[in-house]
Amino acid sequence: MSLTLSNLRVALANFTLEVEAKLGGRITVIFGPSGAGKTSLLDVVAGLRPAESAFIQLGGRVLNDTSKNIFVRPNRRNIGYVPQDLALFPHLSVRRNLLYGHKSTRDPSRLFSFDHVIDVLEIQPLIRRGVTDLSGGEKQRVALARALLTSPRLLLLDEPLASLDLKLKTRIIPFLVRIRDEFGIPMLYVTHDRFETLALADEMLVLLDGKVAQAGSVQQLFSHPANLAVAGLLTVETIQQGSVAKIENGLMTVKVGSITLTAVPEQPNLHARDVYVCIRAEDVILLKGHDTPSSARNHLSAVVQSITREGPLARVELECGFTLSALLTKQACEEMEIKPGDRVVALIKAPHIHLIPR
Amino acid sequence: MSAEEWQIVWFTAWVSALSTILILPFGLALAWLLARYDWPAKSLVETFLSLPLVMPPVATGLILLRLLGRRGPLGAFLHNHFDLDVVFTWRAVVVALSVMSLPLFVRSARVAFQELNPRLEQIARTLGATPFRVFLTITLPLASRGLVAGMILAFARALGEFGATIMVAGNIPGKTSTLSLAIYQNVQLGQDAHALQLLGVSVVLAFAAVLGSELLLRKKARKT
Repeated sequence: MSLTLSNLRVALANFTLEVEAKLGGRITVIFGPSGAGKTSLLDVVAGLRPAESAFIQLGGRVLNDTSKNIFVRPNRRNIGYVPQDLALFPHLSVRRNLLYGHKSTRDPSRLFSFDHVIDVLEIQPLIRRGVTDLSGGEKQRVALARALLTSPRLLLLDEPLASLDLKLKTRIIPFLVRIRDEFGIPMLYVTHDRFETLALADEMLVLLDGKVAQAGSVQQLFSHPANLAVAGLLTVETIQQGSVAKIENGLMTVKVGSITLTAVPEQPNLHARDVYVCIRAEDVILLKGHDTPSSARNHLSAVVQSITREGPLARVELECGFTLSALLTKQACEEMEIKPGDRVVALIKAPHIHLIPR
Repeated sequence: MSAEEWQIVWFTAWVSALSTILILPFGLALAWLLARYDWPAKSLVETFLSLPLVMPPVATGLILLRLLGRRGPLGAFLHNHFDLDVVFTWRAVVVALSVMSLPLFVRSARVAFQELNPRLEQIARTLGATPFRVFLTITLPLASRGLVAGMILAFARALGEFGATIMVAGNIPGKTSTLSLAIYQNVQLGQDAHALQLLGVSVVLAFAAVLGSELLLRKKARKT
């Protein structure tokens, strides 16, 4: 995909949405807290909400250019939109919902057949039913199929899994992966869920109060959040205030309270003394018993405070001079027989300690 | 019932139905504009539209009489250019019924449009539908319950209209006499038996209208 959003300004109730971005991922996640302007951004791209100023180009086609008075109407944009409430037409059957957009797409521009979409999303058994008596997951698939059947050049998904429980989510995600891989339609995917982001996206854009706080590859954003707000939003679990003690041989010594940590400065020109130390829970390794030499630079002796199960994973809260969060597989947790009160050693590699100037 | 009474019944049913059908396109457009858009002078139009509801019907009738009479601005125009006389003809009855029942229809239709989730219409647009197709396939069917209810209200109002009709159309037997006018006249002349007969017919007509629309809606619900 190449979607250019330039000079985009939309006045919303509490702030102005301002976006400047060039998006090229297969799935680009728009990440942000509720009320950050995510849905409004999708509405502008779909042509459902007018912008004060905007230049929007999808592929080679200009959809909106306020400076030249170009505005392509929503029915001519070829953009599929699955809104948060799905907006299935309650007075039509599943079949007629699916055909609603399919019929207005001319044969030569169809990218795939009705049957293929029905097959991939496993809708065949639902086709004769009314949409009002479908379950949440079924409705989700029908809404996705309805949008796909217009052969869109871009798919907008507004928190498509937000209303589903974890079990259903894990069942729908493979469908989204199939859409991404089999149909090759680029998606703008609004969510504030880390799990979905990591499972699906290759690129992300963080929106805070209508402004782009950071944009880039998922990897880059999760490992190098640009500022504290982004780090907090991406729920980097451990964020502690620290101060830089020294820089030696390219390694940085940081003190958090009485604890000394070794980090690799990501920005060579980091001169701030006061920093936030950010550690992601999945980057913490636990060791039971005696501390043994290892390649990890940081060995912290810690006491287990609590263990919370999260699906196949377990979140372990530790006290090691500060509160540290670790994410293990449930299996690892059981094999190590970790329980609250146990003494463990937490290992963190130096590059996994991320510093943000205060 | 005498032939004369049957004529009154048919005439009343016919003008009521005609006025309901006549206000439909105009009422739908007005209700749509009021429900979906903000425009200058909107509240003025709203007030103007509600006037027939709050003003004495006789007063509304008088305004229509002044407007449509041969010396009135509209009446003179129609007479001079189209050789068309309105007052004291069946046309005046239709005009009076339309004016009196329009506000009721617009109110119901407006609520029906407002209750509809605009997201459905927007998403229909992204599925490639033109605004007109969206209106026909999404808006109208989903608002149909409220629209039919509004039409019944309008029809019922037309069936029972008295004050405006008598002002602008008079009560000319065989020409402009409707059920309400005839009942009043019969009571005035002490012909209570005739009045009661016509009363019975009014009840049947009203009952049939409500029942008919109920069945229509139920059939529609089953189909989808």
